[in-house]
This record gives sequence, structure tokens and C-alpha cells, in this order.
Amino acid sequence: MSTFLQFVVEGLTIGSFYALVALGYTMVYGIIRLINFAHGDLFMVGAFVGWTALGTLAAARLPLALALVVAFAASMLATGALGVAIARVAYQPLLRAPRLSILITALGISLLLENGVLIAYGAGFRTYPHLLTQTGFDVLQVHITFAQVGIVAASFALMLGLYLFVHHTFIGTAMRALAIDQDAARLMGIDVERLIQLTFFIGSALAAVAGVMEGLFYTQINFFMGFVLGLRAFTAAVLGGIGNIPGAMVGGFLIGLLEAFGAGYVSSQWTDVFVFGVLIAVLVVKPTGLFGERVVERM
Amino acid sequence: MRAQASRASGRTQTSWLVAIVLLAAAIALPAFASGYVVDVGLTIITYAILGLGLNIVVGYAGLLDLGYAAFFAIGAYTTALLETLLHFSFWATLPFSIVFAGASGVVIGYPTLRLRSDYLAIVTLGFGEITRIVATNLDITGGPNGIYGIEPPSLFGFEISSPHAVYELGMAFFIVVLLFAVRLGRSRLGRAWTSIREDEAAAEAVGVATLRVKMLAYVMGALIGGLAGSLFAARFGTIDPTAFTYLQSVTILIIVVMGGRGSIPGVILGAVIVAGLPELLRFLNLWRIFGFAVALVALMLLRPQGLWPARIRRAAPRPEEEKRAHEAEAAEAQGKESAPAVAIADSGAIDAVAARETLMQVSNLERRFGGVRAIGGISFEVRSGEILALIGPNGAGKTTVFNCLTGVIRPTGGQIRWRGEPLGAGAPHRNVHRGIARTFQGIRLFNHMSAFENVLIGMDHRLHTPFVAELVGTRAARSEAAEHAALGQRWLDLVGIGARASEYASDLPYGDQRRLEIARALASQPRLLLLDEPAAGMNPTEKHALMAQIRRIRDLGVTVLLIEHDMALVMGVSDRIIVMDHGEIIAEGAPAQIQNDPVVIDAYLGTAEEDDGPDATDGEKSLWS
Repeated sequence: MSTFLQFVVEGLTIGSFYALVALGYTMVYGIIRLINFAHGDLFMVGAFVGWTALGTLAAARLPLALALVVAFAASMLATGALGVAIARVAYQPLLRAPRLSILITALGISLLLENGVLIAYGAGFRTYPHLLTQTGFDVLQVHITFAQVGIVAASFALMLGLYLFVHHTFIGTAMRALAIDQDAARLMGIDVERLIQLTFFIGSALAAVAGVMEGLFYTQINFFMGFVLGLRAFTAAVLGGIGNIPGAMVGGFLIGLLEAFGAGYVSSQWTDVFVFGVLIAVLVVKPTGLFGERVVERM
Repeated sequence: MRAQASRASGRTQTSWLVAIVLLAAAIALPAFASGYVVDVGLTIITYAILGLGLNIVVGYAGLLDLGYAAFFAIGAYTTALLETLLHFSFWATLPFSIVFAGASGVVIGYPTLRLRSDYLAIVTLGFGEITRIVATNLDITGGPNGIYGIEPPSLFGFEISSPHAVYELGMAFFIVVLLFAVRLGRSRLGRAWTSIREDEAAAEAVGVATLRVKMLAYVMGALIGGLAGSLFAARFGTIDPTAFTYLQSVTILIIVVMGGRGSIPGVILGAVIVAGLPELLRFLNLWRIFGFAVALVALMLLRPQGLWPARIRRAAPRPEEEKRAHEAEAAEAQGKESAPAVAIADSGAIDAVAARETLMQVSNLERRFGGVRAIGGISFEVRSGEILALIGPNGAGKTTVFNCLTGVIRPTGGQIRWRGEPLGAGAPHRNVHRGIARTFQGIRLFNHMSAFENVLIGMDHRLHTPFVAELVGTRAARSEAAEHAALGQRWLDLVGIGARASEYASDLPYGDQRRLEIARALASQPRLLLLDEPAAGMNPTEKHALMAQIRRIRDLGVTVLLIEHDMALVMGVSDRIIVMDHGEIIAEGAPAQIQNDPVVIDAYLGTAEEDDGPDATDGEKSLWS
């Protein structure tokens, strides 16, 4: 029982990362029907920006708490800006082009980001300062660290904030309108281009938070870290029903749990077989994902 | 037009000549190039084969596949395992590679094809990853180390192991795949793929078995992937899972999209660039892949359709086929007056019309959408040879009735009998094959296909030639195709747009698009034609012509069921009218009867209590005028 619960705790922790990154996939897909293959790499870029910021601030002997806050903020801003720049330069000109063209562009951007970081930081691992300790508390013979609690709580808070933003603010309503019908939204006076950029900013900033948290939690980062995580986060978004924000959260946690149980009870080598196997099974039974609504496909 | 055709065929000849010269140069490459160039050349050939295979899925059928490397892996592992474990010769492993890869195409295709196209991306990606992980973790596949010691193939006692010989083997495979891909694209299957890419629902509604056709795209793509895998195993003598990653799938996809989806020269060009450019960029060292990524993004921004976009496919009947059509017409003109009609219609249908048999019997048909009862248990029959109109205010449930009759939606109650047999709730294309064709309320043509091709799609399920014979191009296949083409041209002539056969459907004026939709539906030689508001948006002259046309269609032996709001047209053309309101039939009878039915007038105009008297009579006048 206690090992089972231990896996649950681990699964929720990993799931937090997946969920945060999945939100970006789902938001972008929701408004422009693009699978943003570069999104996992924005997560990676976020981790590197955070690493650089922390290093610089540590050298400047800033108090630790302040340094962390600044690092998070810097990473969110820089990655968000990068996301906006990518949307403007690479995606928005192709919105009326065949959908595969923009998909290939996204793959190209992904390759570009990975190799850009490879050139700038090298192929080896970079190490975050060991700030998070193993201290924590025991519940039902399960050890839960404060770091794990913090990660899950932070991601929950961010998701809740996003949900409220999308459903209870004027801009959020405009976003949902845009998701349903871009042309009608434009005719209603919504600045579609800026709203798309805002969506990219939010998605990228959330990925950056996940990236810095991942760096702090696992301490090792490299240029390729966004690939596998991005793939699983994307799977999470589809599992939950792509385009659906609560769906992405649930999907993220489900994939995290699946990974923890798979690794715990069978072998971590087979993780992706479980992940994709479950995804395919779910889609065969419910083709729109767990919480997906029927979305009219753009002809 | 004739001159244009010969100019076009002259251009085709030139491009064939260029292609053959290039191919000959490629074959002769080892004679004058260095070992390094030959090696890169073989890599390009391998990618070109893979690109041509994926192009069937992505380019022809418009489906997404992010796990194509799985088929490549299955072919490679099949050859490697059969050679090393069971000591098969390379050639003996080939059929197994192809069959296993094809079977996995079914495995991946069957459960996933009902999914939306974007979901297909992740499922195919998952399939590719699962294949790779299985290969990495099983003992029999050698785990991460893969399989060593695959014997080189031998031919007539000569061992194909030198780089030059392997290159020529690859070239031979490439030529076979190239011919296969070209023939496939021109076959009826290729046409069906294009129609699905254009408008899947419309394709289904004109008789394309969309699910099967989509699955065949995966299977055909998989066959080629498997073959490429065998070649890969023979070339290196060793394989391991790192060759079959997600990045490999993405690379192949980039080849197809960058080159130009559906365009064979484009795909080959894409392979040359993707496999060759990084070699040329070696001087960039670490910046190499970065440079490639920048080039890729820039290319897609500048040319979203790809470097060498696919040209319009076969646009019009060949001159000799056109001649055949005109000869047939001339021969008929000499015969009796009704002959042209009879000659293109199903002769059984004419007899049925004469017998006035009950074509379709609808009893207690009901359809609910959640709590809404769109059709509330209606019964009516359609008799052979009549023109029956279904009218009623907006929202009365008319189109829902059509959708039930054509199998697009499943009724929630009641029964439909078609020529005495219950009409099972199968896929819509089955109903087309049974003889029920339809047009759409909003025009749904295959926009980027010629008018002629639109009609051919409607006829394709009537072809008898076996598929293999069509690919090989036997005499019988060619002769049937020519007849088919001639007949297609005549359907266009029948609706009066024969001269525009080679134009894109989207380029036709509105009225002609409507006519083309009717021609496409007629091309399936239906017994019952369902027309959903055919006069919408037409001017009075066009409406008049449409009435004549509907009568002419009936004279062909085709029964017509019509939804229409234009009362002049309905009253002028129909033998019988059914009036629906709120999902119920409120009146049924001859036009004169319906015109004076107070219930019908109420349904359209409201009762006298609700409206002012004078207004109601005004409305009545305008309604029946």
C-alpha cells in the first residue's frame, strides 16, 4: 500500500510538469489548430534561462528567495517573448496556408531551438544549485517532500488562475470566441493577431515555470530535455481532449501517474509503450479524448 | 482546345525525356563519382523511396503520419531476423517484409481512421515509438545493439556487397517504387484519395468507401516503407533501433512536405535536399543542423506548398475518348429520340419505371437529437419514375430525412425498405452502390479536381477491372478506363457543362457547380436521386432550365426526390408533394391538392388569428406565384 501511495505522490509530481506544458499545447491548438511541436523546446529554453539567471544572481550575491523569484520571472518573460516572436515570425504568416506547412515549420523551429541551445550551452548537462532538500513529512508511511508539495501546489495554482482567466475575464472570453470561429471573432472587433500572441505568451510562460521547476527539482538540464517531456505533455493534452484546459490538466496528471506506476511496477523502459498504449485505447473508445468536445474541423 | 491538348502532351513528353535522362545519370553515377558521393547517393535513394511511400499517405490521401519509421523498422527487422535466424536469402525475405509492413498498416489504420486528423498525428507517433521501444527492449531483436551479420544479397551467384552494387540495387528498388507510386496516383484509388483529401463527407456520399480507402493509403505506404527497410538492412549488414526514431519519421515527413505533397518530382527533390544538404553544410560543423533548421523554416515561409507543388492531375478526357463519346452520341442521334437517355441509364431502371414499383418504403421513421425530435415517426413511399417533392418550413426536418435515407445519420426508430429489402444502417457509400445518390444543400464539390474528375469519382465504384490490372495497365483495363472516361464526358454533356470538363470545380460559376453536382450524382447511375435545394441561389432562367433538367433525369429512368423552397419550381415539376412541419407529415398529394390545403397554408403562414388577414393573403399570393 505504501509503495502504491509513493507512486501516486511521484506520479502527481511528474504530472505537474506534464500538465503545465500540456496547457501550452492545448491553448495553441485551441485557437489556431496547430500542434506546436516547438513547445517542448520552449520548456527547455525556460530551464536554461532560469539556470543562467540563477547563476548570474548568485554571483551578484542576491538573497536566495529574491534570486528565485527573479529567476522565475526572467524565465517566464524571456520564454514568453520567445514564444510570441516564434508565433509572429514563423506561424502567423502561415495561418492560411495548408496545415501541414505550418506543422513542418513548427518541427523546424523545434530543431532550431534545440540546436541553438546546443551551440550556446554545449551538449553536456548543466547543473542547477541543489536548493531543494529531501526534508518533508510522512503520511501513511509515505515520504512527501516539501519540494513535491510546492511543485504540485504551484502548478495547481497556475492552472486555476489560467482557468479563471479564460472563463471569467473579457480577454479570456475573446480567446474562447477566437477558438470557435476566428473570422467571426475578427468581425466582432477582436484583435485576433494580438490575442494569438497573448496565447503564445501565456503558454510559453507556463512552460518556462515548468522548466525552472524541473531544473530545481532534478537539478540536471540539457538541450534535449524538452523532447521526451514535450511528447508526453502533448499526449496528455490529447488524452484530456485537445483544446480543453481542464482536460490538459487531468491528462497531465494521468500521464504522470501512468509513468510512475509503469516504472514502479514494470520497468521504466516501457513507459512510453504504456503511455501511448493507453492513449490509443482511450481514443479508440472515445475519439475526442476524455473531456474533448466535438470540434468542427477547419476545411 | 485540341491544340492546347497537344501542347500539353508535348510538354509531358519533354518532362518524361528529362526524367529518363536524369534517371540514367543516376544509374550511371558510380561510374564517374567518388565512393563518398555514391554513399550519399544511396542515402538519398533510400530517403526518396521512403518519401514516395509516405507521400501516398500524406500527399495523396492527406492523412498525417508521424510514425512512418515504424514500417521502415518492420521491413528492416523482418529481413534481418529471417536472414540471421532462419537463413532465408535476402530475396526470400522481401515478400515477408512487405506483407508484415502492410499488415501493420492495417493494424495502425483500422482503429485510428475514425479519428480526427490531428489525433491521427499523435496515434501514429505513438505507434512509431511503441515499435521502436519494443525493438529496443526485446531479446530477439538484439535490444539496443540490434542485429549483426546480415548477409549481403546475391544475384546469380554474384554477391551484392560492394558499394557500387548496393547502390544499383537501391536504384532498382527506387525505380520499382517510382513506377508503383506513379501508377497508383493515376489509378481510381489515387482519385479516391484526392477526393477524400478535398471533402471526405462528399466522397462518402458519392460512393467512395472512405474508411477502406484511407486504410489502403496506410497499407500502400507501409508496403514501400517495408521494402525500404529491407534495402537498409542489406546495405549496412547491421541494424539497430536508433535508425527508426521519431526523428527519422519527422525527417521523412519533411522530405514530403518540403518537396511538395503529392508531387513525385517534389518528393525526390526533397530527398536530395534533406539527405544531401546536411552533407554540403558539413563545413558549418556544430551549426550544421541549426542551418538546416533555419533553411527549413525559411523555405516553408516562402513556399508553403513545397518546392515543387503537385500539378493538376488528369484534367480532361483524352482526345480519343472524347471522340468516342461524340461517336456514340452521333450514332444515337440517328436512332429514336429517347435513345441517348436510354443508352446511359441502367436498363433495369427503365423497366422498373414502367412497372411503377415501390422503390422506397419509409415507415414510422424517427430521429431524435437529444431531446429534440427532428423527425417524429413519418411514413411515405417513393414510387419508381415519379418526381416527389418534400417541402416544409425551415427546420421541418427535411434534410434530416435525406440524411437518414442516405445513411449519413442513423434513424432512432422506424424502418426504410429499399426495393423490398430493409436498408441497413451502413456507411453512406453502400447506399450509393445500392442506387441512392444525392446532392448537397450547400455545394460540396471536390474543388481542386477538374469537373471531369469530379464525375469520375461518382462512377468509380462501377469499374470492374481488378486493381492490379489497372496498375499494370492491361489492355482490358485501358479499354474499360476509356469507356469510363467517355461516359463521364457524356454525363457532363447531359447537364450542359461538357465544354468545361477540364476546369477546376471551384472555378466554375455557381450555376455550373450545381449542375456538376447533379452530374456527379447521376454518374453513379442511381435509381433514386435526392436533390437538396437544387434551385437555391439560381435566377429565374436557371430555375427554368433546372426544371427541364429534372424532367430529363426522370426520363432517364431515375426517380427524383426533391427538397426545395421555390414553390414555382416544386409545383411545376413534381408529380406528388409531401409537406412536413415540426418533423411530421402534414399533407401529401398532387400539387393542385397541396396548393389549396388549409393545413399547409397555416404551416407556412401561420393561422389567421396570429396574422392579420390581408397580410396572410398577400403572403399566399407570393408563395404560390
